[in-house]
Amino acid sequence: MACQAENNIPINEESAFRENRAIEWIRIERYWTDSEDFAESSPQYLPMTCQHCGNAPCEPVCPVYATYHTPDGLNAQIYNRCIGTRYCGNNCPWNVRYFNYHDPKFEDTFTNHLNPDVTVRSRGIMEKCSMCVQRIRRGVREARYDGRELQDGDIMPACAQTCPTNAIIFGDLNNPDSQVSQMVASDRNYELFGELGTAPGLTYLAKVDVDAEEHSEEEEHAAVPQSPVIWMTVNG
Amino acid sequence: MFRNPYVAYGVLASPGILLVVGIATFLILQRTLLAPTAQAAPDQPIDFPHTVHAGMLELDCTFCHRAASEEPHAGLPALEQCMFCHTAVQPEDNEQIGLLLEAWNNYEGVEWERVHQLPDHVQFVHEAHINAGFECSTCHGDVEEMEKIKQVRDLRMDDCVECHLDNEAPIDCTTCHY
Ligand code: HEC
Ligand code: HEC
Ligand code: HEC
Ligand code: HEC
Ligand code: HEC
Repeated sequence: MACQAENNIPINEESAFRENRAIEWIRIERYWTDSEDFAESSPQYLPMTCQHCGNAPCEPVCPVYATYHTPDGLNAQIYNRCIGTRYCGNNCPWNVRYFNYHDPKFEDTFTNHLNPDVTVRSRGIMEKCSMCVQRIRRGVREARYDGRELQDGDIMPACAQTCPTNAIIFGDLNNPDSQVSQMVASDRNYELFGELGTAPGLTYLAKVDVDAEEHSEEEEHAAVPQSPVIWMTVNG
Repeated sequence: MFRNPYVAYGVLASPGILLVVGIATFLILQRTLLAPTAQAAPDQPIDFPHTVHAGMLELDCTFCHRAASEEPHAGLPALEQCMFCHTAVQPEDNEQIGLLLEAWNNYEGVEWERVHQLPDHVQFVHEAHINAGFECSTCHGDVEEMEKIKQVRDLRMDDCVECHLDNEAPIDCTTCHY
């Protein structure tokens, strides 16, 4: 919900899910622990967003360079450049790119509540988690105008901000003191589908599951540790 | 003698020439007639004169466009702000101020027409430019002398990027598009 409000994602109708055309930049994957006895297995949850791969499979297949890597390590989608071939979505192992099959529909009462800092995507355009780039840009800017270094916690994507258990953490991997750097150093840290070698910018902590997003620009930050309560209590 | 016009002027009608001429015309049009600076200044619901307020009264631009130095959008003033003065400044038989008072007394807003309008996919940030030391006039021209506001600078992508290059400002696509 936080993500949808922040990023002008319309509320998906039931039919969108039925058609497999729902747009959800972050979704919660559910799976069950391995156990013979169903009663003993418990559900596990994994938040799934764009992994902001360092070596992204979606980027080279775009014929118009609408998706590319920013200097700070984001996998960016330039909507106005996009011509909707959907190759990128096809090439994404995580299935986290969403195509607008329809023009977005907002409730009438909603139109004044859209976020002016985020483009509303029309039909025929691919979109995905932007790591709330509007917040990153704003955060960097404010820090610069205040004449201070960016600190851990200055920038928070909507998902991290709204998560009551701080399961998602965002920060600068280049800053060894940042919370993310320390969590990534943990041996519980793993990459989803790491065997594909895409160098995702998000990593998860096993049991205490982590998302970490990496920014290579020095002043920047990013990363996202995860520790859903369920994981901690059941497995941890 | 009858000349078959298709033979006589055939060259002119050949698809290749048409295409070249078409593209050339389009490019010229895009630079001239279709440019934002070529558009007529829209009529406003109230003829608000910047000449009086910013020129004669020398009000600071950010007195009315308050957010310019701290937000992406400069913003237009609320009617309350006009009424700081116009509760007192009410010259007789001034039709335009009459309209203002009418809106105020009826609790209505004034729906100003936009003059500058970038497409939705572009995120312009006033704050960044004011903090970088630019005057409003760098982009908006001498507003103090405009009876009616008109766009005077191209402010399309090549204009933006050119100035960014000159000033070592970022030109990464996600600076402006997200
Ligand atoms: C007394 C309040 C006031 C002051 C002072 C003022 N403006 Fe305005 N400005 C307005 C109002 C009201 C509008 C909307 C009506 C219009 O466009 O004419 C406006 C419109 C504008 C627009 C066009 C906005 C658009 O739709 O694109 C620009 C540009 C602008 N002002 C620049 C300036 C600059 C530069 C200064 C300082 C020299 C300034 N203004 C001073 C009230 C003010
Ligand atoms: C600082 C005080 C002040 C503020 C704020 C202010 N005005 Fe004025 N306005 C004046 C003065 C002074 C005059 C000149 C009156 C005269 O010509 O006798 C004037 C004149 C005008 C006129 C008539 C101009 C003409 O000569 O026909 C209009 C229309 C007007 N203002 C609209 C507005 C609107 C709309 C706002 C709010 C965006 C606004 N004013 C805010 C002081 C102000
Ligand atoms: C670097 C160029 C630049 C400078 C400097 C600049 N502007 Fe703008 N201004 C723009 C552009 C571009 C737009 C159109 C923004 C859009 O459509 O999103 C705009 C739009 C506006 C608008 C109407 C829309 C809005 O954002 O609310 C106002 C009012 C305005 N400017 C006032 C000012 C004032 C006052 C200053 C000086 C303090 C100023 N501008 C300085 C480029 C500039
Ligand atoms: C007159 C020169 C000039 C023009 C014209 C100009 N810019 Fe800029 N812009 C700059 C400079 C210099 C900076 C860097 C400010 C800083 O370092 O804080 C900047 C910064 C920015 C930023 C903020 C980047 C950040 O750090 O978040 C955005 C967004 C931006 N410009 C968009 C635009 C757009 C869109 C246009 C065209 C409508 C435009 N600019 C036109 C000079 C210009
Ligand atoms: C400094 C700001 C700035 C930067 C950086 C920038 N753009 Fe733009 N771009 C604009 C503006 C402003 C427009 C709107 C032009 C207009 O009004 O016609 C635009 C328009 C476009 C359009 C045309 C869309 C259409 O429907 O006409 C495309 C495509 C585009 N940009 C792609 C890019 C790509 C790709 C990059 C990175 C290499 C980029 N832009 C970087 C400011 C910028």
